[in-house]
Amino acid sequence: HQEHHSSTCALEENNVKAVRRSKEEKKLLRKQIKASHTLLKHEGIHTAPQPTRSLVVANGGLGNSVSREELSAALKEMGEMESLLMPPHKPYAFVTYRCEESALKAYTHLNGQKLQCGESSVMLYLAYVSSVTHEEEASVPLPEGLVLLEDFVSPEEEALLLAAVDWSSTNDDVTAQKALKHRRVKHYGFEFRYDNNNVDKDKPLPAGIPAECLPVLERCLRNGHINVMPDQLTVNQYESGQGIPPHVDTHSPFEDTILSLSLGAKTVMEFRHPDGRVVAVVLPGRSLLVMKGESRYVWTHGITPRKFDMVPACEQQSPDHVTPEPGTRSNLTLSKRGTRTSFTFRKIRLEPCRCAFTSACDSQGASSTPSPSTPPPPALPCCHADAARLEEEYVHRVYDAIASHFSSTRHSPWPRVCHFLSSLPPGSVLADVGCGNGKYLGVNPEMIVGCDRSSALVQICAERGFHAFVSDALNVPLRTASCDACISIAVIHHFSTEERRLAAVRELVRLLKPGGHALIYVWAFEQEYNKQRSKYLKDHNKEHHGKENLTKNTSEDRREPHGKSAMQNSGHLEEGYEPVDKKQDVGKVTDGKLSVHTNRTAFNTQDLLVPWHLKEGKKQGEEDHLTPVFHRYYHVFHQGELEQLCSQVDGVKVQSSYHDQGNWCVILEKD
Amino acid sequence: MKLLTHNMLTSHVKGVTKGYPLLIKATEVKVNEVEFNPQFVSRMIPKLEWGALVHAAEELGHRQDLPGELVQDFEKNEDFLKKVHRVLLEVEVIEGCLQCPESGREFPISKGIPNMLLNEDEV
Repeated sequence: HQEHHSSTCALEENNVKAVRRSKEEKKLLRKQIKASHTLLKHEGIHTAPQPTRSLVVANGGLGNSVSREELSAALKEMGEMESLLMPPHKPYAFVTYRCEESALKAYTHLNGQKLQCGESSVMLYLAYVSSVTHEEEASVPLPEGLVLLEDFVSPEEEALLLAAVDWSSTNDDVTAQKALKHRRVKHYGFEFRYDNNNVDKDKPLPAGIPAECLPVLERCLRNGHINVMPDQLTVNQYESGQGIPPHVDTHSPFEDTILSLSLGAKTVMEFRHPDGRVVAVVLPGRSLLVMKGESRYVWTHGITPRKFDMVPACEQQSPDHVTPEPGTRSNLTLSKRGTRTSFTFRKIRLEPCRCAFTSACDSQGASSTPSPSTPPPPALPCCHADAARLEEEYVHRVYDAIASHFSSTRHSPWPRVCHFLSSLPPGSVLADVGCGNGKYLGVNPEMIVGCDRSSALVQICAERGFHAFVSDALNVPLRTASCDACISIAVIHHFSTEERRLAAVRELVRLLKPGGHALIYVWAFEQEYNKQRSKYLKDHNKEHHGKENLTKNTSEDRREPHGKSAMQNSGHLEEGYEPVDKKQDVGKVTDGKLSVHTNRTAFNTQDLLVPWHLKEGKKQGEEDHLTPVFHRYYHVFHQGELEQLCSQVDGVKVQSSYHDQGNWCVILEKD
Repeated sequence: MKLLTHNMLTSHVKGVTKGYPLLIKATEVKVNEVEFNPQFVSRMIPKLEWGALVHAAEELGHRQDLPGELVQDFEKNEDFLKKVHRVLLEVEVIEGCLQCPESGREFPISKGIPNMLLNEDEV
């Protein structure tokens, strides 16, 4: 009796409430536990029928915003823990106890119980697992030229420095305090202008670097981090959820070494190299970041707007404060962001920059516009090889990655396509070039074979019992004049040059027997036709909440969803960033670069990247700040463009053309 | 890959003129039960390359007593149609490859799906 009482107390102490359950509640619990086992199996986690020392704790993961501290506190009560593994982004954790008895205790007391996490709670489901594999922690070196010095200033110095900045100042001329949408910025010495990402060297600000900063700067000089005293200071204040997009500090206005002092809360800064390497660096409060050489001239640095960062747990600090590669299982925990103030000290450069990193250097010919997104959007290809590479990256890889989610959204065949298929005479041989998940392969019972570039999608066709194979639409391994009809639905708009689009049409025509028909559908630039908005646009209002915007137009106010932070992809065009190059906003693409489209809005360029938000098994509309985004390349067609393209093909004529739900369509007849 | 599909496929390697039919090298073959539709089979037969079908069935060891030449009045011959149905729609190559008869290039078949993608230099 007494034992029971004390264990209940222990549980309550750790915010886990033991509840007496009714028969219905027990039944519901059994169902929920079964469901959690199914989900775990999908993740490749197989539960053991017999008790073991290790348990999987479903819903107790970093992906559920459960912190190591909270979970650990509850688990420690059950016995001595050997390890606690919390894989990044996952909705579960693994605990291994020293003995089976402790695991048994944990199972008995915590399975089906609520765990209090901050202001919310999660229902934990535990199950035994036979083993927990630890992956090797990948140790990532810091970018070349980057040094992080912890405890560079004392708490007293930190307080003095923070107090030296008067944010309430109304005298804008003195310090050039600007409200850059959300992040607060103040300049001293010289103003850094965000409209051209440069400094007016002839117009120094009345206020120079505050005297309070001198001891810190002298310390830097003494320790050899800098050779000359900086004469420009930019103070940035970031609230939780604010950040700064990746950028390289422009070469021409500033000398090599840049010092950044972090005060207040810690944050995670991401460094990206043009070759794709990414290094995430934890910047603790009162630390000094020294950027020199490659880390200053080539790597971009940025802070993803977030309210929580994943950082190494204190017991196991990674060397150099680098967070391990995503995907490696290491001791990570969630760290809530607080207000961080950075003091960035720079020396104004008087002569043009003569660094070795010419491709990033504005003094030596490179564009002074910092890259707004990383990796930078590709330019339109000018040759087949480039086109093939672009399509590989922005079409083929994407479809393979999103195949099952994509398939689940492609279930209703379009009526007019069905009509075309059904009106073919019996005994017809049909080919669906770019058949996707086989949506149309079951419409007409006649002989139809489908092909698609994505093996993942063709796999889905095979599972549905259809005849399909993997091939490219530019080279279909079917004999010339072997088909009575072909369809190409939403395919040709993925080819990135006119020549390739033409080649795709030619290939379709080649397959046709004399008198045969081809049906082609491509996405239309004009989404509104005859004053009718297409379904694509109409659904905009339903789906708007929670979607991330990746448009280059920053004029829209992009408020984050209430209460939660959208863990946005870095390289977002963020608050406070005004792009210099406004050519891409509307209308023609003058410099051949691709713009990223905002889903469910009208198109403003013909060649673009359309985001796809991958939802794996999650309910539609459910907010998930860990949703990956993929970009697919499209060339959307103007009215008349498809007919014009087809008219360049010999031996075929356009029998009819029409607009159908946001697509331009043609029916071709072979001579 | 079913033999109906095989009957349509050809090698499209650059420069190849005699790429049809593709040779089949199967390491795993399955026989499924598929609902028999005599009208469908009957309509398909005129569209097929009969010789290629028989040869393919033979390669897989599933020819049984399929004739080398089309029989007359096959539309009414249910026995015959059933044999064709079996070879056309029930026999399935799960693993193996298709080989271009002229260049020797092999196209893999995996999980029942032929991958006919060419490399850049073969296009």
